[in-house]
Amino acid sequence: MIPRFDFIRPHSLDEALTVLAKNSETVTVIAGGTDVIPGMQQGDVRFCATQTVLDVHHLTELRSVIKDGAGWRLGAALTFSEIAAHARIRAEFPLLAQAAASIGSVQIRNRATIAGNFVNNAACADSVPPLLVYDARVHVRSLKGEREVPLAEFLLAPNITVLARDELVTEVLLPAVPSGYAGRFFKLGRRRGIAVSRITLALLLKMNASAVADVRIAGGAVTPIGARFPELESSVRGKTASENLWASLAQDLGKAVLERTGLRWSSAYKLPVLQQALFGMLCDLSSARHA
Amino acid sequence: MTVRFTLNGKPVSISTAPHRRLLDVLREELNLTGTKEGCGIGECGACTVLVNGRAVNSCLVLIGQVEDASVTTIEGLADGANLRPLQRNFMRAGAVQCGFCTPGILLAAHALLSENPQPTEEQVAAAIAGNLCRCTGYKQIIEAVMLTAQERSAE
Repeated sequence: MIPRFDFIRPHSLDEALTVLAKNSETVTVIAGGTDVIPGMQQGDVRFCATQTVLDVHHLTELRSVIKDGAGWRLGAALTFSEIAAHARIRAEFPLLAQAAASIGSVQIRNRATIAGNFVNNAACADSVPPLLVYDARVHVRSLKGEREVPLAEFLLAPNITVLARDELVTEVLLPAVPSGYAGRFFKLGRRRGIAVSRITLALLLKMNASAVADVRIAGGAVTPIGARFPELESSVRGKTASENLWASLAQDLGKAVLERTGLRWSSAYKLPVLQQALFGMLCDLSSARHA
Repeated sequence: MTVRFTLNGKPVSISTAPHRRLLDVLREELNLTGTKEGCGIGECGACTVLVNGRAVNSCLVLIGQVEDASVTTIEGLADGANLRPLQRNFMRAGAVQCGFCTPGILLAAHALLSENPQPTEEQVAAAIAGNLCRCTGYKQIIEAVMLTAQERSAE
């Protein structure tokens, strides 16, 4: 049973920010509701202080897709159906579009929003690894002002972000990807529909002839929060791509995950799958197999 | 709280408590019990309805969120006393057994056919991946949707 609360449906972003500023300790922001509503239904402690639910799903200020000099600005309340179907997002950020198309079910994707996927900082958020390899930044507003934070710094710990109680995420900024990058997205769940991910991986690779110009690796559900692996990325930059290099990088990924999470009941299953997945994606992208 | 929206083509205005879900209001206040509650957390799809033509889980929508929206439930799918071809084909193909998942799957399939009148089997399977059916094994359901698409293209 959902506890009682007041419901506010503001007419504008400013009105929403005013409500947040006045009642920041007791307001829960809702957009798609696919996390908040079942959370309340199940008595999640995250919502035990909620007296007011503030709905921002419909605000036009949060629903645009704009290209400017810095890259692409995606409205925080865009749904995953909208992102997966957006021709330009599919062309410029294919890993994000693939992740969006794989989330939940049609019914979930028609409601769930891009900012809603990471404001609760759940490890299994499928859009986070792609956003991290694209160096996404989070635009945040409150009545006091606005700021922009790299997503990698926005996410602090499970369920914890840098977002203050009176702030609202308004946009996700994606810098244009320089030419020469190719990428892959991998997701493993217990079933295809509605699966909570056990492993997600996003990979971007740029080659300079046979050398690794740049690689970006981000994982989800295998570490306490979605994260990049900067030490692994720098370990292969400038090196000549080969099956051996990818195999040792994949092994190192397993070690890095183990260091961050410690040994878990699932490690014996997850780590080899994770390593194989990364190895396969790297070989596929660099065609090192055929070199 | 008063919420105004369009329900199965007719305007409604309902006074209710803000913590009620669309599902609760449909079943308990508007007596539209064709919409079923299964899991209550968005995993089974039994409570699927259309909001502005798109399939959503009504257990994951607060009643205040449908203000000004157009909602279609299974009670609004047929044309008066006449079943839609999709509904007739569910009967023909044996896609209904216990029937609990049927309203949700019909609406999910209807939303698909409205957007994509000639889907592939894979697209049908993806469109109903959010709907659990424990009786049929899905084969007959996919057949019923494909049959409907074929009939439409033959017209």
